[in-house]
Amino acid sequence: MSVITVLAAGMLLHYITYDGRKQESGLSRLTGLTGFSSPSLSVAYYEPRLFLYDEKTNPAYPQMQPIDKMDLIYEK
Amino acid sequence: MKNSAFLHFLTLLLFKQKSKHLGAILISMIIIFLLSSVLFISSSLQQSLLGTLDEQPDFTVSRVEAGRAVNTPVEWIDRITEINGVSKVTGRIYGRYYFAPREKSFLIVGIDFFDEQNSRTLKELVDGIDLKVFLSTPNMLVGEGVRKYLNAHYYKESFSFKTPQGSFKKVNIYKTLPEQTKLIANDMILMPIDLAREIFGISEDEVTDITFNVPNDAEWDNIVAKLHLLFYDVRVVEKREVRKAYENLYNYKGGLFLILYLITIVTFMLILYQRYSMVYSSERKEIGILRAVGWSIKDVLKLKFYETVVVVLVSFVLGVVLAYLYVFIWNAPLLSQIFLGGANLPNKVQFVPVIHFGILGSIFLFYAVPFLAAVLIPAWKIAVTPPKEAML
Repeated sequence: MSVITVLAAGMLLHYITYDGRKQESGLSRLTGLTGFSSPSLSVAYYEPRLFLYDEKTNPAYPQMQPIDKMDLIYEK
Repeated sequence: MKNSAFLHFLTLLLFKQKSKHLGAILISMIIIFLLSSVLFISSSLQQSLLGTLDEQPDFTVSRVEAGRAVNTPVEWIDRITEINGVSKVTGRIYGRYYFAPREKSFLIVGIDFFDEQNSRTLKELVDGIDLKVFLSTPNMLVGEGVRKYLNAHYYKESFSFKTPQGSFKKVNIYKTLPEQTKLIANDMILMPIDLAREIFGISEDEVTDITFNVPNDAEWDNIVAKLHLLFYDVRVVEKREVRKAYENLYNYKGGLFLILYLITIVTFMLILYQRYSMVYSSERKEIGILRAVGWSIKDVLKLKFYETVVVVLVSFVLGVVLAYLYVFIWNAPLLSQIFLGGANLPNKVQFVPVIHFGILGSIFLFYAVPFLAAVLIPAWKIAVTPPKEAML
């Protein structure tokens, strides 16, 4: 029981003391510079990399809804 | 005194039947761990991305041809600038560079470093950058993932891009973008806008798309209408659409995760049902003895309730704490690939700790209530039968 208490206290301490401002400011500056805020998705070349900007269509069936594997994770 | 005797008995019982509870704790812990890990990763990503939206341009305009985005004419910049209420109209050059031999791609973004605001932001972003030296020769800034990839393929100082004309353009690797920007810039290459234009073979009178701001939010719909009146072959992406996409970043109301959640919860309930509905003879005997020595049904249920609460709490706390360590200390190996993909350059992001206590509470309720019910209902069934029959 004491181990669980120590683990939970350690988790809360890390959560309270973590300083994420450096990361936030770095990301904001990069977005200010590039105008992109889309996460760097490690996707294959034929899959959309930028949210809402990249729309890939199937050349054989242009009417078909494009689907890539990240669609299962991120709602469009 | 009565309470302390009860607690003493409860503790003895828990320790005596350690092996019986360990299985339930282990399975519950794994389920809570997985659910919490997914929740932590998605919340962290969502918060980090939403935080960058203030810096993103309000509108992005690109030309479409046969439903596909194509290069946008530069003269559109002047026509958009003429619309009242519009500010900071900028053309962008960007695109993906496919490195065919290894089937990997980089996102090249051309930046106008002669723009005062851009040069100031770059100096703030990259420590010790000398813009004069940077712009004197073909140089680029690369993301952490690109640097590692190029290093591994012996492009330590420079990389030669193949242009659409078939010629090669050698560009020096000037510096790596800060590690804390990996979430967005892992596969990104920043270079002067003219250099990007040359690599993609985009002519002077074209840009990839045009961005601009409209400081007055109330004007946004009006501006969209004006854009559609100005151009017929236009696609407009608004910042509010991007915000909506990020808010739904991890859609647990539908899709793959709903299926996963349902499977997890149903499996868990089935395991619990099997585990506790087939009450072992030893447990029947135990409840029968307790009833025979004078324990009331309420006392028996109280004992089982506290016993289960200890199991539930221990497994929940352990599951959540382990998920926290896994995501925010060890950066979620394997699981982060579901969210960030793994087909191109590997991206190991440092997740910023974000905990939504409300959702954690909901998970606890969804987990604790069926668990308690699965234990207490069979226990109650035995407790209400006469002790003689229960012990048979």
